[in-house]
Amino acid sequence: MSRLRSQTRFRRQLRQTLTIARRDFIATVFTPIFLLFLFAPLIMSSFGAIGGLGAANAADGSSDKQRMVLVMPVAEARLVRSADEQLRTTFPRDAAPPTIVVVSDAVEPRSQLERRDFDVSAVMQGPLDRPEIFYAASNRRDARYLSTLADVALRRHATGDARLSTPTIERVRVSAPSLGGRKTAAFFAVFGIFFLTLFLSGQVVGTMAEERNNKVIEVLAAAVPLESVFLGKLLGMFGVAVLFVAFWGTVISQIGQFLPADLGAQAAQLVPAVGLGWFVLLFAAYFTTAYLLLGAVFLGVGAQASTMREIQMLSLPITVVQVGMFALASAAASHPGSWIATAAELFPLSSPFAMAGHAANRPELWLHLAALAWQILWVAIFITVGARLFRRGVLQSASSKPVWRRLFG
Amino acid sequence: MAGDWAVTAEGLVKRFGERRVVDGVDLMVPAGAIYGVLGPNGAGKTTTLRMLLGIIEPDDGHRTLLGRAQPQDASDEVGYLPEERGLYPAMKAREAIAFMSALRGLDWRTGRTRAGEMLEAAGLGHAADEKIRKLSKGMAQLVQLLGSVVHLPALIVLDEPFSGLDPVNQERLERLIVAERDRGATILFSTHIMAHAQRLCDRLAVIAGGKRRFEGTVEEARALLPQQVHYVPHHPGPDIARALPADARPDGEGWRFTLPAGGIEQTLKHLIDAGHGISGLSIERPGLHEAFVRIVGADAAEAAR
Repeated sequence: MSRLRSQTRFRRQLRQTLTIARRDFIATVFTPIFLLFLFAPLIMSSFGAIGGLGAANAADGSSDKQRMVLVMPVAEARLVRSADEQLRTTFPRDAAPPTIVVVSDAVEPRSQLERRDFDVSAVMQGPLDRPEIFYAASNRRDARYLSTLADVALRRHATGDARLSTPTIERVRVSAPSLGGRKTAAFFAVFGIFFLTLFLSGQVVGTMAEERNNKVIEVLAAAVPLESVFLGKLLGMFGVAVLFVAFWGTVISQIGQFLPADLGAQAAQLVPAVGLGWFVLLFAAYFTTAYLLLGAVFLGVGAQASTMREIQMLSLPITVVQVGMFALASAAASHPGSWIATAAELFPLSSPFAMAGHAANRPELWLHLAALAWQILWVAIFITVGARLFRRGVLQSASSKPVWRRLFG
Repeated sequence: MAGDWAVTAEGLVKRFGERRVVDGVDLMVPAGAIYGVLGPNGAGKTTTLRMLLGIIEPDDGHRTLLGRAQPQDASDEVGYLPEERGLYPAMKAREAIAFMSALRGLDWRTGRTRAGEMLEAAGLGHAADEKIRKLSKGMAQLVQLLGSVVHLPALIVLDEPFSGLDPVNQERLERLIVAERDRGATILFSTHIMAHAQRLCDRLAVIAGGKRRFEGTVEEARALLPQQVHYVPHHPGPDIARALPADARPDGEGWRFTLPAGGIEQTLKHLIDAGHGISGLSIERPGLHEAFVRIVGADAAEAAR
């Protein structure tokens, strides 16, 4: 008996699975279309940047035209301007209130909101101890700012413009992770996995169509257990996903060197509870299980589709499922320890997302081993069910109907 | 292998909805034989083969493949050419064969080497690095056939292997089947073309309406019908029918009738005494086609054409 004929069932199925994975990986990667796929984020971000610039210009243009009006004598207005100079420094530049215009003539303050030469967000009429403030809809924040300016102006006037407090401001690097930092890290983890799987796992849905259309499935099904065919296709496409992530991970890590130091300091605040090293490992593990879980479901459902139109029709429910899992896991990340977090961590399809968030919020590690085992179990279940449905619904004969047609047809 | 049987099937049943497509089929395929599964279209041949290979599960009955109860356990020793041919169009011919060999347990390097040799031997060496989509239908079919035997399987299952092939390639395929049998492989193939089956099969089964109607050698099938006499008179006359057996019917310039149970001598004596003489005489065994018609019925046989 030759060596290959004495292989155990497990080794044979592993070899067959990897043969299918290799074929799918090569068939996907070594095509011109793959380059389009690989650079899709660049194209998307280019359009995003162009759109963002346009929107920013439009927003800047409109904010440049916005003013707050003081209707009061020049002396009082000077006090308000002085207070404005002091308080304005506390705002980020892009969130600063509109600049102030002074009208010393006796005019009806409400009429200022109708001016044509610029947009008026709010109007304040003196005296400063009992100012009247008017604002246009959605500009309540500016009205409150004006009221604060009046109060500060009066206080400074009462103390002879002298500052009562002389602060010393020092920047300190904090090593202990903040609760906010953990939550932000949790959200980033959930969003990161969601973003990657949204991009990548949906591709799996149409992979069986190639075998069905080319009639290759008959050759595969005679040589290889269908479960191995399904797993092989899933692993092949996962290889494509890993290549994609590795490429963009390298690109982004190089771009990161050129980012401002402030951003690096902010990123340093995102310290996950399990520590950065474990977090990176767990992120990779949960991305893997998220891909395999969603991919197994999409592959099983997509394998039932017999035409490209049916496959295209599946893209919407697939996206809805992914967004649903993201929403559930985001809620879990925001409320660690809550019932919704537990539900999200247990539900197979949301479990990888929620557990990645969990790694950012909670320090215990053993739970992740259990979670990964749980998720892999469900990958096996989804693949087995998908393969059986395919065997019963599609391979039986050419006239057999897919599951949904048998259910609803 | 259990005993000397490459394939056994006992009471195989498959239902599609309410219809019993295969209805209690038994098969015993001897190791090292060329075994034909014959039947009209829709007889259940393909479904039977797919159950034997484990592509679909039978609703009832048992089967073994090379002694294994689970067909997938024997997959490395089986080659299969399905009725609906299928290859990846973007694959090169050599890679397609190597891929099929890798599925069946050969490493890629060996698969590629053997693929090159086999393509060369089959006269397709020039197409080894052509993509499948660029090959003619016949060439692609040949590539798939080579892919099903590249790993030197102990059992080769061919579903309607001759359909779609021109006469030259049909003859080439016949030679390949015989060569594989001579190598020691068992060949199980389905067909509805009797000429191939008659030339190739050591044994055969006839399936019709999902049931096995016959199992035996080609000679045993042909023996189901009596021998036929073809007689050409030297002096034909209007009264010749009176000297011939009752079932005699005109056939060209002569007459055809079933060989009488007691032999031809008495009939010939009557003919000579009546002055018709003998210009030609032959005693013929019926062909497999006639036997097939007898087994499955004329209508079903017509459907098989």
